[in-house]
Parts: sequence; C-alpha cells; structure tokens
Amino acid sequence: MMIKKVLGIFFFLIAICTNSFALIEIDITEGNREPLPIAITNFFYDDERSKDLDQVSIDISKVISADLERSGLFRSIDQEAFIQKTASMHIRPRHEDWRLINAQALVTGELTIEKDKLRVEFRLWDTFAEKEIEALVLITTIDNWRRISHMIADKIYERLTGEEGYFDTRILYVSESGPKNNRVKKLAIMDQDSFNHRYLTSGKELVLTPRFNPVKQEITYLSYFKNLPRVYLLDIQTGIQEVVGDFPGMTFAPRFSPNGDKIIMSLARDGNSDIYVMDLKSRVVERLTDSPAIDTSPSYSPDGKKITFNSDRGGSQQIYVMDNKGRNQKRISRGTGNYATPVWSPRGDLIAFTKNFQGRYFIGVMRIDGTGERLLTENWYQEAPSWSSNGRVLIFYRETKADDAGKGHSSSLWSIDLTGFNERKIETPEDASDPSWSRLIQ
Amino acid sequence: MRSSILSSILLHITILMMAIVTLPIFNNPDLEIPPIVQVELIEISEKTNVPKVSKKQDEKKEKKVEEKKVEKINQPVLKPKIEKSNEKVKDPSENEEVVKNKIEQQMFENIPMRKPVIKKKDKFDPLKIAELIDKSKDTKTVEENIDDLEYDALDSTPSLDSKLTLSEEDAIRAQFMQCWSIPLGIPFDDTMIVKIKISLNTDGSLLEPPEVLQHERMNKPSEKYFRTLAESALRAVRRCDPIKAPDINRYESWKKIQLNFDPREILRG
Repeated sequence: MMIKKVLGIFFFLIAICTNSFALIEIDITEGNREPLPIAITNFFYDDERSKDLDQVSIDISKVISADLERSGLFRSIDQEAFIQKTASMHIRPRHEDWRLINAQALVTGELTIEKDKLRVEFRLWDTFAEKEIEALVLITTIDNWRRISHMIADKIYERLTGEEGYFDTRILYVSESGPKNNRVKKLAIMDQDSFNHRYLTSGKELVLTPRFNPVKQEITYLSYFKNLPRVYLLDIQTGIQEVVGDFPGMTFAPRFSPNGDKIIMSLARDGNSDIYVMDLKSRVVERLTDSPAIDTSPSYSPDGKKITFNSDRGGSQQIYVMDNKGRNQKRISRGTGNYATPVWSPRGDLIAFTKNFQGRYFIGVMRIDGTGERLLTENWYQEAPSWSSNGRVLIFYRETKADDAGKGHSSSLWSIDLTGFNERKIETPEDASDPSWSRLIQ
Repeated sequence: MRSSILSSILLHITILMMAIVTLPIFNNPDLEIPPIVQVELIEISEKTNVPKVSKKQDEKKEKKVEEKKVEKINQPVLKPKIEKSNEKVKDPSENEEVVKNKIEQQMFENIPMRKPVIKKKDKFDPLKIAELIDKSKDTKTVEENIDDLEYDALDSTPSLDSKLTLSEEDAIRAQFMQCWSIPLGIPFDDTMIVKIKISLNTDGSLLEPPEVLQHERMNKPSEKYFRTLAESALRAVRRCDPIKAPDINRYESWKKIQLNFDPREILRG
C-alpha cells in the first residue's frame, strides 16, 4: 500500500517535471463569425447522353445556394468568380483555384439519365484540406429535382455545421384573406422555401392551430363546427380527415407527442381550462392539470417525459414545466411581463415562447429551467413560434397594425435563428398565420 | 521499515531527476554561446568620396554601435536585460568610450571570432551608401530603423528563457482568430476544445501537416460535432499558412505551438 502511494507521488513529480517543458499553448476563443464562403457549381452532364438537363443543372445549384444562404451560416460565392470551369473538377478539383477565390468548401455534381430516372451525384470538398468530405448519389424522377436539391443542401449543412439540416421540410400554416372582420382561413402547406404551395381546406370552416405529426405525414388542427372548436386529424397524402373526439366544452391548441401516438391539448369546461392528453389508439383521455386557473398551450419535451405549458395561476400568464403525468408542476419563467405559447426545442435544450411586455411582443428562448432568457425579436404583434427540425431556427407570424380606417392590417410568416440576427420574411401567396414547421421528410 | 527506506530512495531519485531535467547546469552545459559579432568601425570617408554625413548623425550612430558592442561582449556573462537598463543610465562620455574600447580589445584578443555575414554586407551595400548621399529625412530614418532592428535581433540570443512575449502570442492568436470560421451550429458542450499541434518553419509556414491531438475522438462516428469543429480548426490553420513569423531569434520557442480552439463561450450563447 505504502509502496503504491510512494510510486504515485513519484510519477506525479515526474509528470510535473516533463510538463515544465510543454509546448507554448495559445487559446483561440474567438473566431470569424462571417458566413462560411462556399462555391456551388452547376452540376455537369453529358450533352450527348442526357439532353435537356441544362435548366435542371442550373436550378439545382440555385436551390442549394438559396437554402444555405437562408440559414445565415453560408455565403455562396458568385459563379462569375469561378476560375476552374471544366467538368474535370467533379473528379479532381484544383483546390488552389478555389482557395484563391476564398472558397472554404466546394460543391460539385454530375447529372445523368438512367432509364428515365435522374441520377444526381454530388461531392463536397474541403479546399484547404484538399479532400472530399462528403459524397452522395440520389436517383429520382426528374420532376423531383427540387427535393433532391434540398436533400443535398441538408447534407452539406450537416457536414459543415455539425448539426442536422432542415431544408427538406415543409411549413403548414393558416392562409388568410378578406377583410379583418370576415377573414377566410384555409389550411395551406408548402416547402420551407415557399415552393410547391397548396391548400388543404376550402375555407368554408374556420381553421386554427395546425400542427404536424413529428413522425407521419399527418396533421392535427382545430376547426369550428356549429360554433364549437373541434380537434381534427388529416392525413396529408390521402386527404382523409377525422374528428379526434367530441369533448364537452371547447378544445384548444392540440399538439402531437414526440412519437405521434398522443395528442395533448387544453380543454375548457365551465370556464376553466386544463391540460388533457388523449391516446390516439385507445382514445382514452387523461387529465394532467387541475387548477382553477387557465392552463393552455402544452408542448412535450423531445423525449416525451416532460411537458411545458402556460398558466395564469400565479396572477399573470407564465410558463410552467411538469412531468408527463402532471406531477411536479413548476414555474420556470421569472421575468416581468406575460409569457405564452411555450414550445420545447426538438434538441431539448431550450423552450421558445412569446412574451408580452409593455405593449410589445417578443419571440424569445430560455433554458428548460427558465434561466438564460434571450429575446430574439421584438414587434408590434407577433406570436406562435415553431421550431425547425434541428432546433436552430424559429418560424412565427407577425401582424402589422391597421390604420384608423382599418386598412393596412396584414399578417405574414417570419423566421429567425438563435443568434437573433438572421431574420427573414417567408413568402406566402396571401396573408399567413399560425405556422408549424415539419420534421425532415422521411 | 523497508518501505520507508524504499520511499526515501524513490523520493531522492525523484528530486535528483527533477534537478537533472530542470536545472540548466545539467541540462545544457554548453548552452548555445551566442556568436560573437565583430563590428568594424569604418568611417564612411575611408570608403567613399562622398562628403561626410552631418556630425550629429555620426555621433549618434557611433554611440549605438559602441553600446551594442559592449552588450555582445558581455553577453555570456551578464543577462541582456540588465545591460539594457545600464544602457539607459549611461552617459556617453569619452572616458567610458575608452574603457569600452579596452574591454572590447581584450575580448577580441581572447575569443575566437566569427564574421557576421549580414553585417558586413550591409555596411558595404553600395545602395545604402547611395541612400546616405541622399539626405532626405525619410530615407535616413528608415535606414536607422533597419539598423536598430538588426542590432536588436542580434541582442536577443536563443536560449531556454527566451519565450514568446505576450504581444507576440497575441499576434499569433489574432491571426488564427481571423482565419477561423466557427461552426456556429454545434451545440454547447463543455468538452468542445480542439487542440492542434503545429510545427513552423522560420518563415512562419507549416513545417509539417497540423496534428489534432485528440484524433481518436475526431474519428469516432458518434463525435460528429467534434469532427466538424476539428475540421474547421484545421481549415483555419491551413488558411493562415504562413503566419507572420515572430522574432526569428526566438524560433526555438515558437517552432512548435499548441493551438487550443475553444468556442465554448460562443456556443454557450
């Protein structure tokens, strides 16, 4: 025992001696936060064998560039600046040429037609390490080139930022038209870059709070029937719609559990709203909160073990967290003002919310214990944040104030990333509200 | 009893080893003796027909040369820093100059000398003499600065004590900060530091490819965030190649550097 101790001291001292000759260490704790310059070339194709690919080649590169630029983390270098322009770069790029125009990464690709199918091969190169760091082959029908482009953008994003991409996703929202006191509200769905837009409902019934099922091509939403809101399920692919259940009283803010087998919502009975959860298979409803206050807007944590919701039980509207059986209810928001619409990040580390303070509306995030509150954007009226699949970007809607004559009112979708700097408007054909962002399409 | 004797022996060995490893007396008996620089004082008028440079300047130059010479001679004995402080106090009186010259002569007699190639060359550089003829102020100050730099460089001898100064470290840090595009998408994790060892040539270029010290972690499939971070750091190192080299006389201290790329504060948000 004693010998062991002595030996321990001996080696410790030796370690100290050798350490005295350690290298000079320089800590680099800051870096360049500018978007990463990336060169995205038009994908090559053999003129003889694959005709009519000219436009597709240009379009794929454009969609990838637009996706990456929209993330705020990349800067796509103007193709005019490219030095190497031959097809050989897909196999053997001259890295020094690309470094010369400051490209830290290079995307090359090749298109071929095989049995009426489009074969897209892409490679991602690190121009400084001079090596290929990602490669992928995708085969699809030519019409599907847009989705292929999003998938490639996701791969690039994932490889260079370390987190999952979010470009091969869709946005579900309520499309609005008509005067403010008589709005026609339709359910609409589109790709995250506003393309492939279509309506899911006709606009005869009022629709509210549509939400994606995280694992299936299915949505849940609220629609009014005989002046009572009811929770519906809609299969996007088949168009089949069903009522989840006729509950006595009003239902609000339905949302799927992370594995899509439950719906959590708030139900108002006798003027008192509480949180309920319904198993979609057995249709058994379970009550989770029981307070005289208004408990609403429930949202599951990604592991399904916890639930966040808002309640005014403490006198003002605040954010609370409880476990999935309704136990250990705890207030987490501590700032001044009212907090609403809490949504748990798919990454699990943050909760997004809407905050109303001194007549202004903020979209912000806080850690799951309520610390580290950060307000990302402020405006006259905005609410209903929804997370991108990777938990990095939030989509929400913002309204503009109408003038005294009631004109000028509009509502549109916006996105903002966690840095708070990359705020962008999302184009929709008409006014839009209540967005929900899908997970990556399976 | 036996164990206490053993422990005593081990401790003694340890202390002895510490002494051997750390004390310069054991470690480096023939500690690089700085090359003795021979400086010849030559009146420009001896070599050229060009009219003499103004007296003031001449005196100034001579003073500098004299002082430097003493430093060179004394270097093996005294620490350069002390000399520098002496230098400031010294009054350049004639007496002192005589003493200096005496010391100089003695040292020259006793010590074998190597001829400095650069110095001589510089002194007789016809271009520089041409510049002397041109008495425009700017040229002169530039030349004086060059001379100063050369002497300063010779002052600082490579030794184990000569570490990078804080400002030199800062200069290196600033360069890599500029070159490093942080992958901002990485989630916060307390262990997200990439340590890279680089070896540099005297001109600041990479001597060999940079080495990630945690390469095992980098190659684990489950560590994709770390891999992305490490790759971004490697890109920064290559992008910065060559870095602006610090003082060449301290090359020993910066020819190998460990860079710790630490984005934790940024990722914490």
